[in-house]
Amino acid sequence: MPTLVRDLRIAEDDWRLVDEGPAAPGLIAPLDAWRENPDGAGVWLRSDTEVDAVAEEVLAAPVIAIEFPAFADGRGLSMGALLRSRHGYQGELRAFGEVVPDLTEYMHRCGFNAFVMASDRDAEAAIASIGRMSDHYQASVREPVPPFRRSTA
Amino acid sequence: MYQYSNFDQRFIDERVEQFRSQTERYLAGELTDDQFQQLRLRNGLYIQRLAPMLRIAVPYGILSATQLRALARICRDYDKGYGHLSTRQNVQINWPELIDVPDILADLAKVQMHAIQTSGSCIRNITTDQFAGVADDELIDPRPWCEVMRQWSTFHPEFDWLPRKFKIAVNGAESDRAATHVHDIGIHIRPGPSGEPLFDFLVGGGLGRTPAIGARIRDGLPEHHLLTYLEAILRVYNRYGRRDNKYKARIKILVRAMTPEGFREKVDAEWERVKDSPSTLPQAELDRIKACFEPHPYASLEDETDLLAAARLANPAFNNWLSNNVAPHKRPGYAIVTLSTKPTGVPPGDVTDIQMEAVADWSERFGFGEVRISHEQNFILPDVRQRDLETLFRLADEQGLAQANVGLLTNVICCPGGDYCSLANAKSIPVAEAIQSRFDDYDYLHDLGPLDLNISGCMNACGHHHVGHIGILGVDKRGAEFYQVSLGGNQALDASLGKIVGPSFSRAEVPDVIEKILDVYLKSRFEGEEFLHCYRRIGIEPFREQVYADAG
Repeated sequence: MPTLVRDLRIAEDDWRLVDEGPAAPGLIAPLDAWRENPDGAGVWLRSDTEVDAVAEEVLAAPVIAIEFPAFADGRGLSMGALLRSRHGYQGELRAFGEVVPDLTEYMHRCGFNAFVMASDRDAEAAIASIGRMSDHYQASVREPVPPFRRSTA
Repeated sequence: MYQYSNFDQRFIDERVEQFRSQTERYLAGELTDDQFQQLRLRNGLYIQRLAPMLRIAVPYGILSATQLRALARICRDYDKGYGHLSTRQNVQINWPELIDVPDILADLAKVQMHAIQTSGSCIRNITTDQFAGVADDELIDPRPWCEVMRQWSTFHPEFDWLPRKFKIAVNGAESDRAATHVHDIGIHIRPGPSGEPLFDFLVGGGLGRTPAIGARIRDGLPEHHLLTYLEAILRVYNRYGRRDNKYKARIKILVRAMTPEGFREKVDAEWERVKDSPSTLPQAELDRIKACFEPHPYASLEDETDLLAAARLANPAFNNWLSNNVAPHKRPGYAIVTLSTKPTGVPPGDVTDIQMEAVADWSERFGFGEVRISHEQNFILPDVRQRDLETLFRLADEQGLAQANVGLLTNVICCPGGDYCSLANAKSIPVAEAIQSRFDDYDYLHDLGPLDLNISGCMNACGHHHVGHIGILGVDKRGAEFYQVSLGGNQALDASLGKIVGPSFSRAEVPDVIEKILDVYLKSRFEGEEFLHCYRRIGIEPFREQVYADAG
């Protein structure tokens, strides 16, 4: 049973992923289907989507779900980071597909706030992995100011 | 050298606990083999043919005496009493138990060391000139920027899950001792009109199955923009690099597919959007890091020309060692010493715990407690007083670290090969030994002059065979080990890739083949003409004819 982690807590999933249209409120649909009926629907972006090209239209979606087609495929990290920091997306940014604990820490730092995990155990491990490192060297979506620009070390 | 701040120390300590938790979850069956594989690779831990192999990061090849002693102790406690210096200036140990690895990392953290990103599809240890900061032909000391990039690339939120491994090399001297032309990114640092550092970027060089020389995509980038420009390159690679075939996943394939022009345009467009973001380096941060690399308190000395000339006459072995293993230093009265790990009969790059401790002691007695590892797998003592050279030579000789073969044929660069590595098609260490045994006459070697011989046990090219003046590649021919020989590779500023001579040879034939190649060179060269120049003049044909002459 997939388990949703949202904002660092296990949560009831009130969205359903569909692989074809029509899109409707409560459903997360592929980009083409979503474009037909965007109102109230979430949008599913594949990992090869040109984020800069579609950002403007998808910003209105309450959920953007980015697919991670394989463990260790980091394209979705760039997509999430760009949607949040470059395009200012404010809604739910969700990772699904091959989402494994520990990688969720990177996803979190790139602005994802929801993860579809394979099991309750993975969901617990994902939550535990986030924040285990108290700080990092770089700017990120979560910490836009790198350590070398903060006033106190 | 760089000293950890409180931030760095806390980071590394937390990382040890993070990896400990991952290891425990794996051993408890909560992580699958595949999941744990990716996590352990971020930490330099391979499961090899015989046992796990742990690759410990030596950032840009610089170690303190304290760190080297800690490595010696780890080799003694957890390995069989020796370690291996790698071609990425790191140290590998071959026999640790998985369950001990978190404790090894905790020991390393106590001396400001780690194993982060020494393997896996991420940004690997950044390498540079092993003489950085002391070379007499240095334009700009590259070390502060290596450290800046080390920090930036450590667990980068976006760029730690790339299509493939990613290697950056930096050079700031007239000679290129960092092989920058065959790296994913090669950076040349040079002074601008008012002495300020400027960065030239080469992208898409590499060895492996599809060797390539990097394309120049940016000239004269000012230092404050270093990280945002890297961010632009890495973002283009992370998004567009191929992930369907691991042999086509390196950035060189993407650069070739997009053309260097097209790639540059894409990077420039991305850079326009991130330039001047908070990742732009403030002067205060550059100053903080540069302060760690201030010159040591050197004494004001004179060059010891007469003393050394007399010692050369009195001791021919010392004379040979001075000619090959000692390089000029920025400061008068000092010298840079390369301690060769390559006497005949020892796998190139292998050093014992006792040797490590000896080198650590010498670095304090004859310097400022600093040691380097070169990508040619030797130790360097960067700050030896010229008047101490003869004493150091005697001590190094007793430890088997004074082979006078740096830059010569027997200074073989060699990967661990089929003896250790599960990827290898063929063994490489016995080939190195056979060549070292065949050509053990110093006068002959010296007469041959500068000659890089590189051996890789498979296409992954860890022994950099493409850029050896003579390169040897282990191949599998219907289950048997064979060796393909190439000529004319070169890792210096005028970098070139070697050309294959012809059909491959059995292991037993290799020393004869090398001898025939050297015969052609010795007969064809003009006076004083080095092997590489001779090869470039006469081409591969005369070598090919001689090597296959008896084959009918």
